[in-house]
Amino acid sequence: MAALRRLRGSNNEGVLALVLLGLIVAMSIANPTFFTLNTGFSILRSAIVPVIFALGVLIVVITGGIDVSFAAIAIFAGYATVSFCLNAGFDPGLPGIFAIAIGVGASLGFVNGIVIAQFSLPTLIVTLGTQGVFFGAMYTYVGASYYAELPGSMAALATSNLLDVTTSSGRAYLHLLVVPVLLLCLLVAWVLKRTMFGRSLYAMGGDLEAARRAGFQVKRTQVSVYMLVGALAAIAGVIHIVLSRSANPRDLVGGELDIIAAVVLGGASIFGGRGSVVGTVLGVLLVQVIKNSLLLVGVPSAWLRTAVGVLLVLGVGIQAIAARRDSRRMRVIEDLDSAQQHEQKVGS
Amino acid sequence: MSPDTKVRNEVSQTNANSLRQFNHQLGSWTRQFVRRPGANRGAGRMVVALLLAVTLFAILNPRVFLSPINLQNIAVAAPEIGIIAIAMMVVMLTGGIDLSLVAIANFSAITISTLHTAIATTDPDLANNLGVVIVLAGIAVGMLGGAFNGFLVSVVGITPILATLATMQIYNGIAIVWTGGSTLYGAPAMLGAIGQAAVANVPLLFIIFLVVAVLVAILVNRTALGRMIQLEGANPVAAQYSAIPRRAVLLKTYTVGGLLAGLAGVLFLARNPTASADYGSSYVLLVIVIAVLGGTNPTGGFASVFGVVLATLTLQVVSSGFTAIRLSSYEYAIAQGVILITVMIFDSVSSSRTKRPKKLDPQLPSEASPTEAALLRP
Amino acid sequence: MTSMTTSQPPTPFVSARGISKSFGGVPALVNVSIDLIPGEVHCLAGENGCGKSTLIKIISGAERPDSGEIVIDGVSHAQINAHAAIQGGIQVIYQDFSLFPNLTVAENIVLTAEVASGRRLYSPGSVLPKAKAILQELELDLDLDREVGDLSVADKQLTAICRALVNDARAIIMDEPTTALTHTEVSRLFALVERLRARGVALLFVSHKLEEVLAVSQRLTIMRSGRQVVSGPTSEFDQRSISRHMTGREVDESRVVSDLDLTAPLALEVSKLSLAGAYRDVSFGLHRGEILGVTGLLGSGRTEIAESLFGVTPADEGEIRVGGKLVPIRTIQDAVTARIGYVPEDRLSQGLFLEKSIADNIVAASLESHRTRWGTLSRAGIATTIKQYFVGLKINAPNAQAPVRTLSGGNAQRVVLAKWLATAPTVLMLNGPTVGVDIGSKEEILELLRVEAAKGMSVIVISDDAPELVAACHRVLVIKQGRLTHTLEGDQITVDTIQERMSA
Repeated sequence: MAALRRLRGSNNEGVLALVLLGLIVAMSIANPTFFTLNTGFSILRSAIVPVIFALGVLIVVITGGIDVSFAAIAIFAGYATVSFCLNAGFDPGLPGIFAIAIGVGASLGFVNGIVIAQFSLPTLIVTLGTQGVFFGAMYTYVGASYYAELPGSMAALATSNLLDVTTSSGRAYLHLLVVPVLLLCLLVAWVLKRTMFGRSLYAMGGDLEAARRAGFQVKRTQVSVYMLVGALAAIAGVIHIVLSRSANPRDLVGGELDIIAAVVLGGASIFGGRGSVVGTVLGVLLVQVIKNSLLLVGVPSAWLRTAVGVLLVLGVGIQAIAARRDSRRMRVIEDLDSAQQHEQKVGS
Repeated sequence: MSPDTKVRNEVSQTNANSLRQFNHQLGSWTRQFVRRPGANRGAGRMVVALLLAVTLFAILNPRVFLSPINLQNIAVAAPEIGIIAIAMMVVMLTGGIDLSLVAIANFSAITISTLHTAIATTDPDLANNLGVVIVLAGIAVGMLGGAFNGFLVSVVGITPILATLATMQIYNGIAIVWTGGSTLYGAPAMLGAIGQAAVANVPLLFIIFLVVAVLVAILVNRTALGRMIQLEGANPVAAQYSAIPRRAVLLKTYTVGGLLAGLAGVLFLARNPTASADYGSSYVLLVIVIAVLGGTNPTGGFASVFGVVLATLTLQVVSSGFTAIRLSSYEYAIAQGVILITVMIFDSVSSSRTKRPKKLDPQLPSEASPTEAALLRP
Repeated sequence: MTSMTTSQPPTPFVSARGISKSFGGVPALVNVSIDLIPGEVHCLAGENGCGKSTLIKIISGAERPDSGEIVIDGVSHAQINAHAAIQGGIQVIYQDFSLFPNLTVAENIVLTAEVASGRRLYSPGSVLPKAKAILQELELDLDLDREVGDLSVADKQLTAICRALVNDARAIIMDEPTTALTHTEVSRLFALVERLRARGVALLFVSHKLEEVLAVSQRLTIMRSGRQVVSGPTSEFDQRSISRHMTGREVDESRVVSDLDLTAPLALEVSKLSLAGAYRDVSFGLHRGEILGVTGLLGSGRTEIAESLFGVTPADEGEIRVGGKLVPIRTIQDAVTARIGYVPEDRLSQGLFLEKSIADNIVAASLESHRTRWGTLSRAGIATTIKQYFVGLKINAPNAQAPVRTLSGGNAQRVVLAKWLATAPTVLMLNGPTVGVDIGSKEEILELLRVEAAKGMSVIVISDDAPELVAACHRVLVIKQGRLTHTLEGDQITVDTIQERMSA
C-alpha cells in the first residue's frame, strides 16, 4: 500500500506518467509511424522551450502566485539581445548572449516582484499589466523588425545535434539543447528540495502568514522568485530564437496559457504549496504528445487549442472532484478514529 | 458637485445638446452612487480621470481629438469593450474572473455570421427577415458558453481562473476550426443599420451600451440575485451561513457574463459585418484593466457599474488621444499596464493606511487588534 | 535535559514592564507589566478583547509598544522584532497554530529552527532524527511523514508545541491553546505543560476559561479593557474571584425567566438524531416560546448538533420535525425554508460581511422576501426592515451605511441577530451569543431573546457560559461525548450544577 502510494507520487506524478504511457501505447497501436525515434526526438525538441517556461511557472505557482508575463519577458529578453548584437555588429558568444538575456529577463522579473511584494497585489492582474507594458515597450523601444540572420554563435548552436541516428524511417536528430534543459530541470528540482530557499517557497504557498511568523523573509523571497522566473524566461526566449533560427518579435506571446495548463496538469496547485519538477515535465510532455498525436491521427491543427482546453478541464475537474471526495472521506475516517478513542476511554 | 459641472461644461461645448441630457443623467447617478458606501471609489475617481484625459488630449491636439468624427468614433468603439468589461465586473463581484468573455463574444459573432450566410445563400430576404432570430441565437450561444463556465465553477468546483482559461481555449479553438482561421463576412442587414444609426447625434450603439449598463446596475443593486452576488464575493462563508445558494448564484453570474459577452458579439457585427476567431484578442487584458479601474475589487464584493462605464470611456479617450498625438497601439498597451498597476498601488496604499492594524494579522480576525480597540470604545 | 532545578531563582526570563499601546488613539494596553519565570506557568486571563493578544504580540515582537520595555535575560529592549524574539528563545503557539498544511509533520517541526539558524541548504535526511528526538523527549506519538493538513486539531497543536521546543525555547506563549480541543485532549495538553515546566521553560498561558486557569498555572494576571486588574499567585484565587476580576462585577446568578407554558405546541422535535463521530441518539423537544440552553465542553458535539439542525453538516440518521411536520434538512436552504435561523459561533468569518454596510448585512438572509412583483427588491420594504432592526436592536453606529468592520463585538452581534430576526424564524439557534460581547450588550442581547421568545419564537442558546444559561434559559440540555446526558429544569439550573454536569 505504501509502495503504491509512493509510486503514485505526492502530486499524482505516477498517475500522469501512466496516462502518458497509455497514450503513447495507444497511439503506437493506432498508428505505427508514431512509435519511431523520429517522433520521439521531435517531441523532445518541441518540449525544450515549454519545459523551461514551465519550470518558471512552477516556481511561482508553488508560492501561491501566478505569472502570465513570462512569454513577454522571454521574447523581450531574447529579441533585445539579438537586436543589440546585430546592431552593434559583434557576437559575444553563447555565454555572453545568455548573460545579457538573463540580465534583461531578471530585471523585468524584478519589476513584477517589487510591485507584487511591496504592495501585496494580486499576482495575476499585476503580471497581466506588466505583460502589456513589456510587450509594448519591446515594440516601441527595441524594435519590431524580423531578423532572419542570427549572430554566428547562435546560428551554429541551431544546427548542433546531440544524437544523429539513421533509422529505417529516415534520420532522427536529437537536439543538443536537450542537455542543458535536463540540467536546468535537475537544478530547479535540487533547489526546491534541498535548499532553504526552495522550502520557503512551499512554506509561503502553504500559509503566507505562518511563513512570516516562522521568520522567512517573505518579501525578499517573492522578489527573487519573480526575478528567477524572468531569468528562466529569458533563457527560454534565447533558445526559442535559436531553435527557430530567426528572431520574430511576434513569437511566444499568446502561448502562456498552454504552459500554465501543462504545469497545472503536472499536479501543481494553483493555490500554492504543491508541485514538483517531475510532474511539470510530465505535464509538458503530455501536452506535446497529445498535440503530436492529434496531428498524426489527422485531426486538423486548428483543434489543438480546443484539445488543450479540454485536457485542462478534465485534469483540473478530476482533481477538484477527487479533492472534494477526499475531504469528505477524511471526515468520516477521523470520526471513526475519534469514536474508537471515545470507546476506549469509556472502556478504561 | 464641482467636477460634475465641469464635465458638463467641457463636453457640451464640443457636442450637441443631447450630450447634456446624458450628462445630466450622469450627474444624478453620481450623486446617487456617491451616497452608496464602497461603490463610489471607482466612480468618483473615474470622473476626475476622464476629465483629465479629455483635457490633456484636447490641449495636445485639439483639431484631431475634438473633431466630431473622433468623438463619434469613441462613442462607437466604447460599447463593445464596455459591455465585456461590465460582464467581467459582474463575475469579479463574486471574487471570480472570466478569461473566456472575448472568446464567447467572438463565438456569438461567428454564430450569427454563419447562420446569416447559410440562410442568405438560399434566400437573402429570409435571412434579413430572420435577423432578430439569428441575433437571438447568437446571444443564446453566448449564454450557453457562460452557463458552461458557471457549471465548471459551481458544480465541478474548478477555480474560476483555470476553468475560464480552459473554456477560453475551447471556445476559441472551436471558433478557429469553424471559421478555418479566416475572417467571415456577412451579417443581418438589421445589425448594419443599428451600427450606423444615431439618435440626436448619439450613436445607437452607445445608447445600447448605456441601457445595458443601467440594466446591469439594476440587476446588481436592486435584485435579490445581485445582492447575493455581492455578498458571495464579500464573504463566501458568511454567504453560506446566510442561506445564499452558492451554486445557483455562481451559475447565474457566469451565465449573465456569457449573455453580456454574446451581446458584445452582436455589437462587433453591428460595427463591422465581419467575424473572426481572433478579433479583439487584446480585449482580455483591456476589460480587466477597465473593471479594476472602475472600482471593482478583484477579490470580490464591491464594484460600480457607473465606475466601469466611466473607466471604459476614459480608456477609449486615452486610446483615441494616443492616435491623435500619433502614438502607436503599443504605446497604448504600455499606458494600459502602467495605469492598471498605478491604480492598484494607489488603492493598496490608501486602504492599508485606513485599516493598518487589521492587515498585520489577517489570520486571526477574532483576536485582531481593531476588534479589541473597538471593544474598548465607550 | 529533564532534570528539574529544585531551587528556582526568582529572576524572570522575560519581563514586560509598563507596556502601553493604542490603535488609532484607542488605548489597547495601559501600563501593563508581566514576568515570565522559568519553570512557572503564568496565566494571562481576561475576556475576549481585553488586550491579551496585543500583549502577546508585543512580547513576541509582532507589534511595537508605544511605551515600556521588554527585558529578556536581564537585557532591556524598547522593542523587539519577531526574528529577535525567536532567537532570544521566545516562541509563540498561535491560536491558529500557524503551521504549513502542505508540509509534513517533521518538516513543520524542524523548519523554523532551520530558518533561525540561517542555514542555506536543507537536508531532508537530518529532519526526521531531529523531529523524532523531540517526540521522544515529550513522549508523544505522531506520524512524522503525514501532511499537517490531514491531522486532527489536537495533533496539529502537538506539532506546534514540538516546533516551539525544537528551537530550544526558554519561554513559550500559548494563545488560547484549548479552544479547539476536546476534554481529554486538554488533559493531555496539561500533562505536557507540566513536563515543559519541569524542563525549566517559562510559560505564558492565555485563556479566558476559569477552570483551566486554576488547573494549570502558578501565577495569574487578569486583564480587563486593556488594564492589568490584578496579578498574584494562582493559589490566592478561586473561580468566583477570577470571574469577578475578569468581568468587573459579581457573578450574577439571578434568573429572569418567564413561566414556560408546557402545553404550548412543540416548535421543534428532534428524535434519535445521529452523526457519525459527532453525536449519537439525540432527542429533545422545543416548545413555542421556550429558551432552551444546550451546553457541553468543546468537542462534546453541541456545535455539531446545531449545525446539523441548520443543514451545515446534515445528520446521518434521525428525524427533525418543525411545527409537527417532518422536514428533511440536507442543506442550509432547507433549514431556512423551515424557518430555522442560526447565529454561528465564529461571528467574524461566518456571521458577518465585514466590509459591507450594516444595512446590507441586516437584509442578507431575507432578500427573497423583499422581492416586488417585478422581481426587483422593494426599496421601501428593505428600508423599513433596516430601520426596524437598526433602531429596534439599538445598534450603535452613526448610520446603517457604516461598514460592519467598524462595530464593536456587541453591536456586530446585534447585526447578526438582526439578520436572522428579519427572516421571522420560528426557531432561532445562537451559538455562543455573547462571546466577545461587553457586559452591557450581553444583558441587552439576552433581554432581546426573552422578548422574542415571549412573542412566540423558540430559541436555542448553545453556550458554555453557565451564568448566561442560568440567566435566560427555561431548560438546559447537557451534551457529553456526543450524547445528551442531562436535562436540567427549574431549580436545577444553577451555575454550579451546570458546570458540574458539563465536566463530570
